[in-house]
Amino acid sequence: MSGASVATDRAALLLQLVPYLISKGEVSVAEAADEFDVTADQMRTMVRGLTVIGLPGDSGYWQMANELFDIDWDLLEERDLIVITNSVGLERAPRLTAREAAALLAGLQLAATIPGVGDSQLYAGLLSKLGRGASRTPAAVVVASEPVDAVRRLVTDALGRRVAVSFTYKTPERAPTTRTVDPVKVLIAQGQWYLQGWCHLREAMRTFHLDRVSDLVLTEIPIAHGQEPAPEWFDATGENAGDEVIVTLEFPASVAPLLGDYLDRATVTTTAGVSTARMRVADEVSLRRLAARRGGAVRILAPIGAREAAREWAEAGLAQYPEQT
Amino acid sequence: MSSKSAARIPPEERLVNLVVALMATEQGLTKDTILSSVSGYREQSESGTSKDALEKMFERDKESLRGLGVPIETIGDRADPDDLREARYRVPTAEYELPADIEFTPAELALLNLAGGVWSESSLSADARSGLRKIRALGIPVEDPILGYSPRISLREPSFAPLQRAIEDSRIVSFRYMRPGSAAPRVRRLQPLALVEFEARWHVYGLDLDLDAPRTFLLTRIIDDVVITRTAGDPALREGAGERALAGLRELAARQRALLEIDPGTEAWLRLSRRAEPAAQGYWVPYVDLHVFADELASYGPEVRVVEPDEVRSEVISRLRAVRNAHAGAVQ
Repeated sequence: MSGASVATDRAALLLQLVPYLISKGEVSVAEAADEFDVTADQMRTMVRGLTVIGLPGDSGYWQMANELFDIDWDLLEERDLIVITNSVGLERAPRLTAREAAALLAGLQLAATIPGVGDSQLYAGLLSKLGRGASRTPAAVVVASEPVDAVRRLVTDALGRRVAVSFTYKTPERAPTTRTVDPVKVLIAQGQWYLQGWCHLREAMRTFHLDRVSDLVLTEIPIAHGQEPAPEWFDATGENAGDEVIVTLEFPASVAPLLGDYLDRATVTTTAGVSTARMRVADEVSLRRLAARRGGAVRILAPIGAREAAREWAEAGLAQYPEQT
Repeated sequence: MSSKSAARIPPEERLVNLVVALMATEQGLTKDTILSSVSGYREQSESGTSKDALEKMFERDKESLRGLGVPIETIGDRADPDDLREARYRVPTAEYELPADIEFTPAELALLNLAGGVWSESSLSADARSGLRKIRALGIPVEDPILGYSPRISLREPSFAPLQRAIEDSRIVSFRYMRPGSAAPRVRRLQPLALVEFEARWHVYGLDLDLDAPRTFLLTRIIDDVVITRTAGDPALREGAGERALAGLRELAARQRALLEIDPGTEAWLRLSRRAEPAAQGYWVPYVDLHVFADELASYGPEVRVVEPDEVRSEVISRLRAVRNAHAGAVQ
């Protein structure tokens, strides 16, 4: 990042800091630092810096004291509290930039797909306020919503009523199991819904892909393990605690963006446009679907069992088209 | 004053001083007044920095602030509007501040906090947080956060940011676009109008200048950098573009569908049945992009068989063949 854009970013923070401090009246350095994603030291520096900012000096070298921002220095030095005692402008927050408005508008479209979160009136009101509060027309960023099916609705219901749910769970290469789960959180990513919760069968926090859930019913069992530590985000399978197999993949570097989340847990090296990734997976068959999806661009190099699994998977698929093989 | 003390004023303080000065004036300040009185310029003026250098600094500062959304107005000479020597500059408070009649309720703020958290690691995450800070600085009482949901949108495509900028400025862009199955990428010229996430993939919708017709492109197929040209397009086309883009994709999905036989209880069945409509023999499943759909179907291997149309069938077969060949024999 260039020096000029660092300065511009800092100026943007200062323009937001003044109205924030004024609306707070009195705020601790720690709370303000948290709000602005900076360290406490950086916040103190920003606040001290404010006190040399002010109106133009018409005569002489320095402005009069009442022409500069000022703070209560004693409170800052002794109790780590910030209070603005003199202000020379900037009291109300600046308008949103087009990009700030677009980021919030798009996020809102996704949040609004959750049943019961934000009724339609609330949502419509926010759309119009964000549009009017922007300094320029934001670029249209649309997040298409999918219809919410019965399973998603029931899970939302269970979260609200704080009761366990019971369902059949089927992961790709395993037999179906019946699970009872204390729901803790619904994760929504790439249009897919996942339920995170305490699994009574595994006696641990687990993440379930809702597409793989069927026959879901609400039980009368109140949530007992809602406070168990849960991973903030999740690994794609949610069930891979005992992953044993290390697989090596090879693919053109240009394909990497298409592999997305898979590579988050892999070690990747790239030479001359060809990438090699090593990652730990549950078993030898678990990457055959990934290989098949990329139509030959992703090759499994090792172990041999995983290579074989991918070849057999493709052959079994081809066998359905006898006239073509 | 020594140049040492002039250097002590960091550029961000000069920028904020400039905003304060331009907001405090009704009739506007001339460039000369600004350079000799606003702290940050004044000290450099006094320490002997050339007028030319100061004026260039002022021009850059104006651009930086406009980039932040600060509306700097230029009031020219009435007799000769092109003569900027006597121009006055100001920032109209009403256009700078969040409009006075916009207020947010605690419930709205709770929903916005959830909405602002969806951009995991992309640059839009910083934009959303910064926007939320401005709204929270209106001093809205805090309501309990909406717990139990963590919606995320992933955005890995580097082409997103330049396309978004080009939409804001109604500029024409060009990029190399690789259609699967074609031998080489083709250069496309587009006035981008909307960015759409549809079925977990990012698309750009716009006016294709070579075809003079609206077209939609997948961001993952844009090769290397998007070039923003200096040519401006028609800003009026932006009106309603998001709705038009979405309607186009939905229409496509309604028109294109494949007849599939799906093995019940398998992964393919779980993933496809939510989109599927039962047919006499198998299921009809709509799709937007032939190649993306064929990729998905190939991943299911023997769990799904394509009955028709032929193009989907042959794309799936060619993928399965390529996978078989890529994994045949031992690795050298």
